[in-house]
Amino acid sequence: MSERTADVIIIGGGVIGASIAYYLTKLGVKPVLLERGDICAGTSGACDKAISMQSKNPGLHLDLALESSAMFPGLGEELGADLDYHRYGGMIAIENERQMAIMEKFVERQKNHGLPVEILSGDEARKRQPAFAPSVIAATYSPADAEVSPLKLTFAFARAARRGGADIRTGAEVRGLLTNAGRVEGVVTQAGEVRAGVVVNAAGVFAPAVGRMAGLELPIKPRRGQIIVTEPMPPMVHGEIWSARYIVAKYNPEMIRSEDPEAADLGVGLAAGQTAEGTLLIGGTREFVGYDTAVTPEATAAVLRHAVSILPFLAKVHVIRTFAGLRPYTPDGMPILGPVDGLEGFVMAAGHEGDGIALAPITGKMLAAYIAGAETDKRLRDLALSRFQQAK
Amino acid sequence: MSKHICRCEEVSEDEIRQAIADGATTVTGVKRRTGACMGLCQGRTCRRLIVGLIAAETGQNPAEIETSSVRPPVRPVTVEALLSPAGDTAGCKGREEDK
Ligand SMILES: Cc1cc2nc3c(=O)[nH]c(=O)nc-3n(C[C@H](O)[C@H](O)[C@H](O)COP(=O)(O)OP(=O)(O)OC[C@H]3O[C@@H](n4cnc5c(N)ncnc54)[C@H](O)[C@@H]3O)c2cc1C
Ligand code: FES
Repeated sequence: MSERTADVIIIGGGVIGASIAYYLTKLGVKPVLLERGDICAGTSGACDKAISMQSKNPGLHLDLALESSAMFPGLGEELGADLDYHRYGGMIAIENERQMAIMEKFVERQKNHGLPVEILSGDEARKRQPAFAPSVIAATYSPADAEVSPLKLTFAFARAARRGGADIRTGAEVRGLLTNAGRVEGVVTQAGEVRAGVVVNAAGVFAPAVGRMAGLELPIKPRRGQIIVTEPMPPMVHGEIWSARYIVAKYNPEMIRSEDPEAADLGVGLAAGQTAEGTLLIGGTREFVGYDTAVTPEATAAVLRHAVSILPFLAKVHVIRTFAGLRPYTPDGMPILGPVDGLEGFVMAAGHEGDGIALAPITGKMLAAYIAGAETDKRLRDLALSRFQQAK
Repeated sequence: MSKHICRCEEVSEDEIRQAIADGATTVTGVKRRTGACMGLCQGRTCRRLIVGLIAAETGQNPAEIETSSVRPPVRPVTVEALLSPAGDTAGCKGREEDK
């Protein structure tokens, strides 16, 4: 039985685990990262590319996103890789007065939180985004929204971490946690034990299974998102586009019901953007269906119906692929980060729902600083697991 | 310049070998690192060649190398045709022949 020791073990090679590994190496800590499949085998390899500020709830959520967003320019150079990072801004299409009332309030609160964002009339919106349907009565615009390739970002973090001395192991599944007197002492993998005083749970939607290895209940649930990919084409969509319904589906899906009951069941909202290769990514759904990553014709049809109502040119475009990923959902939409009461050495880093790509840099930086003992960000207290335990 | 293995996405043999050296042991692993198989033909042309390269570099048996899953539609189909769930059969037919 092989036994090894490390200072820090990270469970999970998605964008979050890879980011923590990288920022740890910057502070001189050389972690062991254990990924049971391959880097990007989980949600980070089956998602969209938005670094969206506009979709964030004003408050701690938006503050973290803004801070993370400020870390992206220059990150590619720092990691020595092209990340397809661009800041083209983003727009939220508004289709009726009811949505307008919701978005006016949402935008006002975002502005108060320091986000540059405004509401444009339908005609002004179509000047910026000629593909919008005439039925779009208004749209928000924020220059702060950006995009990045989630795959390139995750691999770049992992490679830079490896160059910095991290031991990144794929095909390494954690099957048990070693604990003793309220302290975590390491993990058990299929290839033996690895001992460490700090174990980070960055297992995404599988974080609850890891938590249970130490008797912890984590309120993270998979929330499926289905995405449709089109043939490549010349630039048709500028920056990222969402529908107001997307914002509603993210925070309060029941409000869509009077407009379209099926869309409410599937949590349909439009998120669209064009990749560097010219393909369009058209999302998506928000569904609680366990760990099922299948794509369904019903959802494809519902998403495309909604998409065509906002971007009519799509009707004639060819679809080449569909895929689905599982967002690590938490009841308040915020990730669970930092230490856990009663299990010393165990650090949470999961539950980023639909924002893990955007929040990866700030998550990695905050947790690395905490683990290396450099500084404890005060916000980690508000993001700790205990916020759910106290509520009970 | 080494030759293109994935013509749709212009991914060269060298890039695929680098992806394998970086830890890819499956077609999906190569796809996520290089973008190969993500083009218009969805890997129909390049998937086999990639399996061959993985087998050669890692010593795996080609028959046991996981190929990336084929997700509907198997052939490009217009958005219009997919607007009703029933219309999806256009894209789902031919799934067998693809194997
Ligand atoms: C459809 C969709 C669209 C999205 N769009 C966006 C977007 O535009 N912008 C944005 O910011 N975010 C977006 N997201 C959210 C984002 O993808 C996630 O928040 C993020 O990828 C989560 O990363 P992670 O590292 O926590 O999880 P993962 O990437 O899932 O990584 C966890 C890893 O842990 C591994 N693992 C699990 N259990 C074990 C074990 N026992 N031992 C070893 N390894 C284990 C898994 O194999 C996996 O690789 C989207 C998500 C979806 C589904
Ligand atoms: S040749 Fe690779 S996707 Fe077509």
